[in-house]
Amino acid sequence: MNTVPLIEKTVHTVSSVMTTTLADRASSAMPNEWWWVVVWLAVGLAAIGALITALGLVLIYVERKIAGHFQCRLGPTRVGPFGLLQTLADTIKLMVKEDITPTEADQAMHLFAPFLALVATVLVLVVIPYSPILQIVDLNIGVLFVTAVSGYGVMGILIGGWSSNNKWSMIGAMRVGAQIISYEVSATLALLVVVLFSQTMSLAGIVESQAPGWWVWRAHGVGFLAFVIYVIAATAEINRTPFDIAEGESELTGGFHTEYSGLRFSFFFLSEFVNMFAVSALAATLFLGGWMPFHIGLSNSFNSIMDMIPTVVWFLGKTSFILFLIMWFRWTFPRLRVDQLMRLEWKILLPIGLVNLFAAAIVVLTRLFFFPGVS
Amino acid sequence: MGLIDFSKLKSETRTFAGKPVNVTIGPRFNKMGVPAKVVFSLKSLMEGMWLTLSYLLSPSTVVTKEYPENRLTLKFPERYRATLRLTNDENGFFKCTGCKMCERACPNLSIKVITRKGPVSDKMELDRYIWRQDSCTFCNSCVQVCPFKALNMTHDFENAVYDRRLLIYCLNRYAGPAAGILAAQDEETRKKMMEPRQPYGGNVPMNGYQLPYLKALPGKPADPAQGSNK
Ligand code: SF4
Ligand code: SF4
Repeated sequence: MNTVPLIEKTVHTVSSVMTTTLADRASSAMPNEWWWVVVWLAVGLAAIGALITALGLVLIYVERKIAGHFQCRLGPTRVGPFGLLQTLADTIKLMVKEDITPTEADQAMHLFAPFLALVATVLVLVVIPYSPILQIVDLNIGVLFVTAVSGYGVMGILIGGWSSNNKWSMIGAMRVGAQIISYEVSATLALLVVVLFSQTMSLAGIVESQAPGWWVWRAHGVGFLAFVIYVIAATAEINRTPFDIAEGESELTGGFHTEYSGLRFSFFFLSEFVNMFAVSALAATLFLGGWMPFHIGLSNSFNSIMDMIPTVVWFLGKTSFILFLIMWFRWTFPRLRVDQLMRLEWKILLPIGLVNLFAAAIVVLTRLFFFPGVS
Repeated sequence: MGLIDFSKLKSETRTFAGKPVNVTIGPRFNKMGVPAKVVFSLKSLMEGMWLTLSYLLSPSTVVTKEYPENRLTLKFPERYRATLRLTNDENGFFKCTGCKMCERACPNLSIKVITRKGPVSDKMELDRYIWRQDSCTFCNSCVQVCPFKALNMTHDFENAVYDRRLLIYCLNRYAGPAAGILAAQDEETRKKMMEPRQPYGGNVPMNGYQLPYLKALPGKPADPAQGSNK
């Protein structure tokens, strides 16, 4: 079989493109040129800030537009051409609105919670490889890091709900706690399948391991099943319909953010959308090959055409696909009841995920997946 | 696959407390095994997703009306409901007889029909038809119950006002008998039978009162004795 060396060559060329991440630059500058450390860190922070702003502006607009058309409406049309400036107008409105803290609330914690929620999502954005030359930190324990900090966002929500001193907020926050802890298990099991196949936890490494093919199809059925489980569990983790029992406006008025207004409400709101982007980007990175272009076997001409599309476009395209999927779920499915939610996780997703993980282990051991020689 | 098979409905007579009663017996819910349930649920989820996707992809399904640039060409669905009106016959006389069926049918007391003894005919006839748009839910019940088809929901939706009390109207422009009776009379008697009415005259709150920014409306102050403010 001469397929393997050829693919190895592709992998090789791709990895030679890899340059150092911002964090690498910062740490290599550490011993003698300390100011460069500051510069690189500032660049990283600015990049993440810009990304979050852009995400907020674009995603909220897109979601409202898509939601409108899903429901036979038009969505925003008035502010700016096609309503493009609607999010900007809403942001200004939220900023000038009165920021109310209830008198009975725990002031300090009430103030602190929204930032905690947003920080958790930022931490996930830091490790995602957006393109071979665009990544802020490449941790060798990337997947572990992601699962750890994404559970950290629930702290913000729990503290926000607890400190509001309001029964709706409290119930909403407790529901989020139960829900995220439960679904984290399934999400992690699904991520582990990919870790088994790619034999690395570094996200950049996982992307590179998919040069011969994306894990969603290359790992036979197990990869696809893990992908499905991850999308379901991720939707639940970011509290989106059909799993939005945390907000459940028909039962809990606003859930954990009932008592939030103005800028701090917008932080919760923003963190929901950035979260959505983060899980979509993760799913794209782990299962759909991240920035890796789509290649078919040995058809060189096809592959070189695919290579001409910039890697960032590939990454954004795959991420948008999953984002669209999550939005589609939200505007189609009815909300689950709390007990149904728990049953779905503990009685259905978790057993399937466990069996799937074992099956994946067997597939990896017997090397039955496609192109085993490469990764 | 529906949950109930309607072709399996059965009718029979049962005895309750010594009396025979006709009952209809529906079949039990179709019992589904776990695999069938999973297939059924997944299928219905897919159907839902397909439906919303078809809405997304075909802009012709959008029902939103843009406004106000196209005010003049705005088209409404036929059954759009915005303002209640009394319908007229071909001579311009309203058909309402003052039977008060609509008043009874209204779920939130948004209609008050005030009748009077006609000065000529000495029979009951409509004096004021008062409609509270502020509490109306546009349920259309009044239109449906009217035995004379004397009511109609029109499409005039631009009803915003600065004072909520201005949403309480008197709908008839004259007090008098219904169209059928009026049409049978000659010109002289007709004039005697009809008495003009203002939208904000009579037993509506703005009658005779004044706010700093709002002039008093034409009409006499409300009479405590309902419907007899002549
Ligand atoms: S539409 Fe319904 S609520 Fe309105 S006046 Fe008629 S009966 Fe009453
Ligand atoms: S509108 Fe119709 S139902 Fe109501 S009082 Fe007149 S005739 Fe009777």
